[in-house]
Amino acid sequence: MKKRILALVMAATLGIMAVGCGTKEPAGKTGETESVQRESVSDKKIGMILVGDENEGYTYAHIEGMRIAEVQNGLNDSNIIWKYSVPEDESCKEAAVDLVEQGCVAIFSNSYGHQTFMEEAAAEYPDVQFVSMTGDRAEISGLSNFSNAFTNVYESRFVSGVVAGMKVKELVDQGKLADENMDGNKVKIGYVGAYPYAEVVSGYTAFFLGIQFIYPDVTMEVRYTNSWFDITAEAEAANALMADGCVIIGQHADSTGAPTAVQDALSKGKPVYSVGYNVDMLSVAPEAALTSATNVWSVYYNEAVKTVLEGGKIPTNWSKGYADGAVAITALGPSVAEGTQAKVDEVINALKSGSIKVFDTSRFTVDGKHLDSYFVDMNGNFSNGDPEDKEAIWDGYFHESELRSAPSFDIRIDGITELTAE
Amino acid sequence: MAAITFEHISKRFGSVNANSDVSFSVNKGEILALLGENGSGKTTLMNMLSGIYYPDEGRILVDDKPVSIRGPREAYALGIGMVHQHFKLVDVFTAAENLVVGLEPDKKLDRKEIAADIKEICDKYKFDVNPDKKVYDMSVSEKQTLEIVKVLYRGANILILDEPTAVLTPQETERLFNVLRNMKQDGKTVIIITHKLHEVLSISDRVAILRKGEYIETVETAEATEEKLTELMVGKKVDLEIERPEIEDKKLRLEVRNLSCINNEGIKILKDISFDLYGGEILGIAGISGNGQKELLEAIAGLNLIEEGGSVKYHQPDTEDPVELKGMTPRRIRDLGVQLSFVPEDRLGMGLVGSMGMTENMMLKDYNSGRGIFTSKKAPKELAEKIMEELEVVTPGVTTPVRRLSGGNVQKVLVGREIAASPTVLMTAYAVRGLDINTSYTIYHLLNEQKKKGVAVIYVGEDLDVLLALCDRILVLCGGQANGILDGRTADKQEVGRRMSVIVGKEGEGHE
Amino acid sequence: MNEPILRVIKRESMSFKGKLLVRAVSLILALLVCGIVITLITGYNPITVYVTMAQGAFGTKTRAWSTIKEMLMLSCIAIGLAPAFKMKFWNVGAEGQILIGGIVSAGCMIYLSNIGNAGLFVLMCILSALAGSLWAFLPALFKAKFNTNETLFTLMMNYVAIQLTSYFVAKWENPVGSNTVGVINQSGHEGWFPKIFGTQYFISLIMVIILAVFMHIYLRYTKHGYEIAVVGESENTARYAGISVPKVVIRTVLLSGAICGVAGFMAVAGASHTISTSTAGGRGFTAIIVAWLAKFDSATMLLISLLLAFLNSGSSEIASKCHLNDYASKIVIGIILFFILGSEFFINYKLVRGKKGEKK
Repeated sequence: MKKRILALVMAATLGIMAVGCGTKEPAGKTGETESVQRESVSDKKIGMILVGDENEGYTYAHIEGMRIAEVQNGLNDSNIIWKYSVPEDESCKEAAVDLVEQGCVAIFSNSYGHQTFMEEAAAEYPDVQFVSMTGDRAEISGLSNFSNAFTNVYESRFVSGVVAGMKVKELVDQGKLADENMDGNKVKIGYVGAYPYAEVVSGYTAFFLGIQFIYPDVTMEVRYTNSWFDITAEAEAANALMADGCVIIGQHADSTGAPTAVQDALSKGKPVYSVGYNVDMLSVAPEAALTSATNVWSVYYNEAVKTVLEGGKIPTNWSKGYADGAVAITALGPSVAEGTQAKVDEVINALKSGSIKVFDTSRFTVDGKHLDSYFVDMNGNFSNGDPEDKEAIWDGYFHESELRSAPSFDIRIDGITELTAE
Repeated sequence: MAAITFEHISKRFGSVNANSDVSFSVNKGEILALLGENGSGKTTLMNMLSGIYYPDEGRILVDDKPVSIRGPREAYALGIGMVHQHFKLVDVFTAAENLVVGLEPDKKLDRKEIAADIKEICDKYKFDVNPDKKVYDMSVSEKQTLEIVKVLYRGANILILDEPTAVLTPQETERLFNVLRNMKQDGKTVIIITHKLHEVLSISDRVAILRKGEYIETVETAEATEEKLTELMVGKKVDLEIERPEIEDKKLRLEVRNLSCINNEGIKILKDISFDLYGGEILGIAGISGNGQKELLEAIAGLNLIEEGGSVKYHQPDTEDPVELKGMTPRRIRDLGVQLSFVPEDRLGMGLVGSMGMTENMMLKDYNSGRGIFTSKKAPKELAEKIMEELEVVTPGVTTPVRRLSGGNVQKVLVGREIAASPTVLMTAYAVRGLDINTSYTIYHLLNEQKKKGVAVIYVGEDLDVLLALCDRILVLCGGQANGILDGRTADKQEVGRRMSVIVGKEGEGHE
Repeated sequence: MNEPILRVIKRESMSFKGKLLVRAVSLILALLVCGIVITLITGYNPITVYVTMAQGAFGTKTRAWSTIKEMLMLSCIAIGLAPAFKMKFWNVGAEGQILIGGIVSAGCMIYLSNIGNAGLFVLMCILSALAGSLWAFLPALFKAKFNTNETLFTLMMNYVAIQLTSYFVAKWENPVGSNTVGVINQSGHEGWFPKIFGTQYFISLIMVIILAVFMHIYLRYTKHGYEIAVVGESENTARYAGISVPKVVIRTVLLSGAICGVAGFMAVAGASHTISTSTAGGRGFTAIIVAWLAKFDSATMLLISLLLAFLNSGSSEIASKCHLNDYASKIVIGIILFFILGSEFFINYKLVRGKKGEKK
């Protein structure tokens, strides 16, 4: 029971008013009418366990992804059963069991915190396929009906880094940077991270390497907020980074805190720009936002639903990137440097063809040395030397998201400093 | 010409008829006493006139025009102002600030102008108000004066005073009456609610009598006597004599020596009080409300543990050695076998648990006496039924929450329980406050019964006539000090009143 | 003359039947209003929506037990809060007391998984109760000794408990980097409530029934219960009766905290098998409504908890089945609660119209 109930007692009258307004805009989803009328090609049912609902950006992206998959696979509303706002506790298991009892043959959950409960359900119902999106335990759970999926979001981060790199280059060329923006001959970049986990490390490293791809003389400072979503903390971290002279503020946190703060600073005359995540930030930072790195979940859901309808097995680990259209960057903002779009297209094509690898070991060093071997921790115990651990570097690059779908690049490379926001 | 006319006014609270079909008039420029027992509906009727309640039925006419009074502001607009029994003043404000608080917001707070207005009113009616004095620094009498000035300042032509003399000394009462007479001279209409007959006779022009919510009649004061008024008020002839038996064999029970006490706010509320209390006597305690009466009883009962000094020695009926009670909790005192009963002033806030029925209230002091973890309700239930029967407590049953009972019945429950404990010392604070005449006389009778049994009784009272009629000796408290102990049979009311407000020289007091 | 059209009058008292009638009418009205609102926003047939709610809460065995689990959590906390609130000690710190109980249970499961299930169960129960007591003890002590405001104090203790939980989540993080503790003892189920009649919530059900019966007897028939009632009514009366108010306050709040701690134990060992800052999930506040609405009567607390749990499960199902936004279904809950609370007003007061037939 949420404490919202308590609030609702008081907000009941307010609620009625809100409902009054709501009549203009039906609470049903986009395209509901046509999907209801559409005949379905199958009577198989698919369950979706969502940590939030359509009002929350991350979950909204997943809902959109699954809806596209539904249409593309010739299904209709009767095929998908939705569980909204499921907490990351035993409620998730109960939701999963309930979906099984309603006849679902495949169940997806969209939050990392759901994973252990999905795994439990998977163990109990071997005939149903369970997918924990962004999870990392499928490989080691030993359950054939339990899978993980993620996107190669590091690719879109790399591309967003390219956009930022173009801007840095332009700022340098135009002589707009002051001494405070430089560390020696290197331009200062800032990054607001959520937690010091592999997913974040992989993300900011890809972003950093993307910038260096265009303008190598940069250094980056990372500040953690210890929250996935904290508008105030993210804005404060961004302000601290800007006070330190950073000219680009990247982020791996879900709120609009950082872009808003950057827009403020830019309006006051500081040369500083923002690169966001997940959603287009132009609405809150019309001049400061360059672009955002995003996931295109529909690509995965489309494939997974297709597999389910054909009676196949969903791959244990799935992670795809630009080559399959599973990642993207949002529309470029008006402030990007000239020629950015062309450069972006070029890099995307190179990523698609494989001629550029994001974690090319020749392009970064650790303690001054290029790496030629790195074992990825597979079971989450961080003790190296376990038999489960696997070598991730071969053919001259780090194979991110290939051994398992969740990011595993947790190497701290030269040129990046981590700070904890206090 | 009628200033106010009530026409068929009725007001119900739940199933209680506070007023039913009340019709009478108040003449312009007269002092009308509204007489009735507690619970007869006097205050309810006046609250409807001052806009606090709205009548269920009937209508009110002001200057022969029907009006609808829906709030105090509307009452003021009609020139009606009421001085409530419980003052409605803001403690931390000055007199002047209290006058303007709640007035139209566009009225500017011009201190000079207000002070001038106050002076004008005071000069006119012979008041004495210091506009810059904070309310918390004022005596009860000063507060009341301020309330009256407030009502006049707001332009009232019709003043209602609810039990104004309850908190005053005889001297202060006389001063108030002079002011009221001055107002009458000035053409103001005054309605004074009271149940004290001699005051009615001394101040009013006419007396309107209410009984059980109904209007009985209005009589010319000049033609009235105490007996006649009482009969009208109670509905039957009442013997107003209070008996005072003389007990020969008095034994020392309590020896209070140099008792001093500070209250929760750290103010020294009792100063060096000494007296003796004997079995077989009623010791009256007189004083203006808030002069240490409550604290004195609570200190003896072990409730006020913040004592500074002195001693309270209790002499057991059978043994020689006295027991020191000072610094002991009520439970400790009981465990020592001291049968100390106490009827506190705050009946439902201290003596009883309002939400509980009679049975559970009987257990209050000895619920812990039995063995085991469970309470036993058998004996308390029997006691409750006995008290209900013997004292004629009107209640639907022994499980009905006592807060639903009328004030008189609540007091019967409380006194009944305290007497049932077979006390050797019985302390009562304002035992008849708010009770009707019959119940009051029942209580006096019960106290006399206890006295005859050899119980040492303390009676804290506010009605000096009763104190003088009932008590063997009267201890007067003034400012937390003992201001003399007088013999109840010979003491003079004026003298008691004087001692209530002014400390007399040491030679005036003594511990016989 | 301008007359007031409606006036509020306090009722003397109301018969049991009358109360029942008012409540029934208010429930019917609530359903009617909800029906109108639902039809207005969505065009769905309200009957369908109610049937969906009922199915969502009790449609299958899984759902029924899930609803019962929620009800048990709420009841357990409400039973814990009842003695404190009856004493007018505003313990709004149940959230913290639950979390602390939960942390202790989780710690036992992690570090003492080898001592055997029976021993572990008893140990967790006792230690969680002690931890909850401790968490409530500090505000109680300060209230008793220095008359500090317990509402603020218990509320602040919630935040301390949340921070402590964050600390332990980080400490026990599994897998590393997940910021969650994960399911504790997933393989061996050490410390988990055993399944009886196919559900692990059966033990919780028994525990809550025992607690409810205990609290009923404790408040009504024991000397302690009597003292709580007197202190709650008036501290002056308590002192007058010779009751040591500080002693009663501390003792009662210790009991209250202990039961809330046990609720944390039930949440961790009996349901989620993990601990997070959302383990209490606001139930510590919702339970206050439960306790007050029930006027601290055990059986009524169970009923009201069931109603709230039903509404919660039912509204999730509406969201799922009718594609109503989550908030739209919460509005339905809001309306129903609004009417239920409103019915209490009509039980205590009545409205009368202005005078009729009066001549001008």
